[in-house]
Amino acid sequence: MKTNFNIKIGGHAGEGIKVSGLMLSRSLTRLGYSIFAYSEYPSLIRGGHNTYQVHGGIKKVYSQIRKIDILIALNQETIKLHQKELQTNSLIIYDPGEFQLPKGKLKGNYLPIKLIKLAEKVGGKPIMANVVGLGATLSLLGLTAESLKKVVAKEFADKSKAIIKLNQQAAEAGHQEVKEKFNNLVFKLKKPTKKQKRIVLTGNEAVSLGAIAGGLQFFSAYPMTPATSILHYLAQKAREKNIVVKHTEDEISAVNMAIGASFAGVRAMTATSGGGLCLMAEGISLAGVSETPLVIVNSMRPGPGLGMPTWTGQGDLQFVLHIGHDEFPRIVLTPGDAQEAFSLTSWALQATEKFQLPVFVLIDKYISESDFSLLLSKTNYQNKRYSFASKLNSKANQFFKRYKLTDKGISSRSIPGEKGGIHCCNSYEHDQLGLGTEDKNTRSLMVEKRMNKLKAVEKETPQQPLFGAEKAKTGLISWGSNKGPILEALKTLKQVKFLHLNCLWPFPSQKVKQFLQTTNQSLCLEGNANGQLASLIRQQTGIKVKSLLKYNGRPFYPQEIIKTIKENE
Amino acid sequence: MNKINKIQNQFNSHIQPTWCPGCGNFAIFTALKQALAELKIKAYQAVIVTDVGCSGNMADFLKTYTFHALHGRALPPAAGIKLANHNLPVIVIIGDGGCYGEGLTHFINLMRGNHQITVLVHDNYLYSLTTGQYSPTTPKGTVTKSTPEGSIEEPLNPLSLALANQATFAARGYALKTIHLTKLIKQAINHPGFSLIDILQPCLTFNKNQTVENWYQKKVYKLKKPFTKISQALEESLKTDKLAIGKFWQEKKPPYHQAIGFLKKPLVEKEISNINIKKLIEEFI
Repeated sequence: MKTNFNIKIGGHAGEGIKVSGLMLSRSLTRLGYSIFAYSEYPSLIRGGHNTYQVHGGIKKVYSQIRKIDILIALNQETIKLHQKELQTNSLIIYDPGEFQLPKGKLKGNYLPIKLIKLAEKVGGKPIMANVVGLGATLSLLGLTAESLKKVVAKEFADKSKAIIKLNQQAAEAGHQEVKEKFNNLVFKLKKPTKKQKRIVLTGNEAVSLGAIAGGLQFFSAYPMTPATSILHYLAQKAREKNIVVKHTEDEISAVNMAIGASFAGVRAMTATSGGGLCLMAEGISLAGVSETPLVIVNSMRPGPGLGMPTWTGQGDLQFVLHIGHDEFPRIVLTPGDAQEAFSLTSWALQATEKFQLPVFVLIDKYISESDFSLLLSKTNYQNKRYSFASKLNSKANQFFKRYKLTDKGISSRSIPGEKGGIHCCNSYEHDQLGLGTEDKNTRSLMVEKRMNKLKAVEKETPQQPLFGAEKAKTGLISWGSNKGPILEALKTLKQVKFLHLNCLWPFPSQKVKQFLQTTNQSLCLEGNANGQLASLIRQQTGIKVKSLLKYNGRPFYPQEIIKTIKENE
Repeated sequence: MNKINKIQNQFNSHIQPTWCPGCGNFAIFTALKQALAELKIKAYQAVIVTDVGCSGNMADFLKTYTFHALHGRALPPAAGIKLANHNLPVIVIIGDGGCYGEGLTHFINLMRGNHQITVLVHDNYLYSLTTGQYSPTTPKGTVTKSTPEGSIEEPLNPLSLALANQATFAARGYALKTIHLTKLIKQAINHPGFSLIDILQPCLTFNKNQTVENWYQKKVYKLKKPFTKISQALEESLKTDKLAIGKFWQEKKPPYHQAIGFLKKPLVEKEISNINIKKLIEEFI
């Protein structure tokens, strides 16, 4: 009995691959499987090769894998390009009415299914061929088409009933075709015993949802792949959730507008990718000196410059750790999956208000645009408000010590319009009222006040989860999205433990030290060329770790990790 | 005079202005405080966002809520403050360098959006805090520290630009016509939308070309009555031999925050203590 499966859909951009793939992921999740889906596409609107791959299983799956069980090839190129991922028993669905199989020796079992003809036969249009393919795929997995039909109804809810019905018939036609012609090839796949009500969403959607749960009130951003869909999602929900969402003229405006809104008392966030973050540098520095709460989501893509917009990488870590001139405290969160993207973004909005410093949520294309199945049973979220002054002299037309020197460095805030709360939110160095100063003592005190806050932050930063065999002598240490492929690899690597870092500043030195001291050898996985986390570990703990680096725009695959660990043994 | 001092005093911080003696900023500072007082805006109700430059240092001299922004970036936070709490009057103090140079894109785009902010541009044809370099409004051929052989660019025309770019309130003031300027500022603050006052401001220390005697007194005159057609306003704005002061244009269009349908009460009053995302979660099934 199979417990896992890996399906890939490939074709030209503009053929609805992503939409079809998502419908497949949702159908499988409804059936009770855990899924992870990863898509690749070039930075083009039409043309170029696109893929969507769903890895699913009875138990939780964490990442994409290489070997394909079922390939839905929407063009001939797909068959040629993915030969290396196919095995002798892989099944390849293709439409012989559309293209011929490539010449030469091909791996796998080729199933000619006339997708377009079948769609037309039920009265549908050629565009419904993808749904026929999905129906056929579910059939090959030995699953019914019912969940797909429900997903289709939801996906096309804004279309006519007739369209929904046609699509459902198309799904059924594909399902039936396999039963009739290829019943002998159907997988013996284990069925989930309990159905959990999981949802399917991307990392960007998880970030957005987490932000909403965390009380987001104001979001300003400028589109940049792969962060753009955060703007799309929040703009779509703005009215329903009373959030002001502003697509600004540039990233400089986005960050400064969010800071203005935050100064006026609302929870504010912005999101961008590396190039846009460069433009935000001065604004972030302003948030730093003026202690104005602000959450910045940076979804990494390979750089420098424009780099590779639709691919993944982890090259911005050191940049985010240092962005902005001179020194000011910050928090850098590095969620490893949708669950953490949700919870840490939500926490980021609390933390930035509480500690009054910039909080980064550092993700990458791999998290931003991959589909995760996730159990989110909690629907109500309570938000406390932090650091607002409760006792203002409401009769007085006077200055308020907004930057009062305190032990922890955290002072209470007043907001514009409040009596007795007058102050200056100042980009210049300032005194306790916020008024500009160049006095040497005040300067020193203010620098110390700001930097002091990190001590309070350290006590509240999220726990760094440890996975695998606790007593293992081989260790993996990593951050952000590598969590998925590493956890997938740990299914094979039984004698390895893994420390996932989801907060890199303030740096969890004790935890990292302890981890590294209990292993004989440790490997630090990163999606950059310089080993930026490894440098950070050495800077903070004095310990040198070996690196496994990847910087070709692609995520790690579990097999690569397994191979490297085995070679090092 | 004492009466004026008294009503203006409520807006003074304990820090004495550091501008050069005779600087036009004093007059604009006075006009602003007088306008706030006459509009019965309390010190704690006003938010003044200042840019970087001599004018921007006003942030320290004012006793209102102030936001001393980055250079060229005063407009975006001002728009953000207004969107967060549209009950507050939001006024921007900015120079010709910040508004028409470093921050021009914000000026153009927030104006189009009709964000309800009052933008007071201290236009002295020069960068003065950095000791005198040419600015976007410096006349062509002017010798400055950064253009020792004379500036090559044609100057930017703020009013023509604003009129062609959907400004719903565009005016020119003159620092030394302080009572006239006060009236303009009052109208601008009361205007439900983006309001621009390009304020001619002599710089006694660094600008030896545009002096009070040789430039302003010869060129400045008051507009008699407002224009009824934007084409007339535009024609007037294109004149460079004479410089009219007064309101060039005003029209009614909904400000940005009003155009956001759901923003009836200020965003800052929105309760976030209990957020339910059930409906949103169900969309992902």
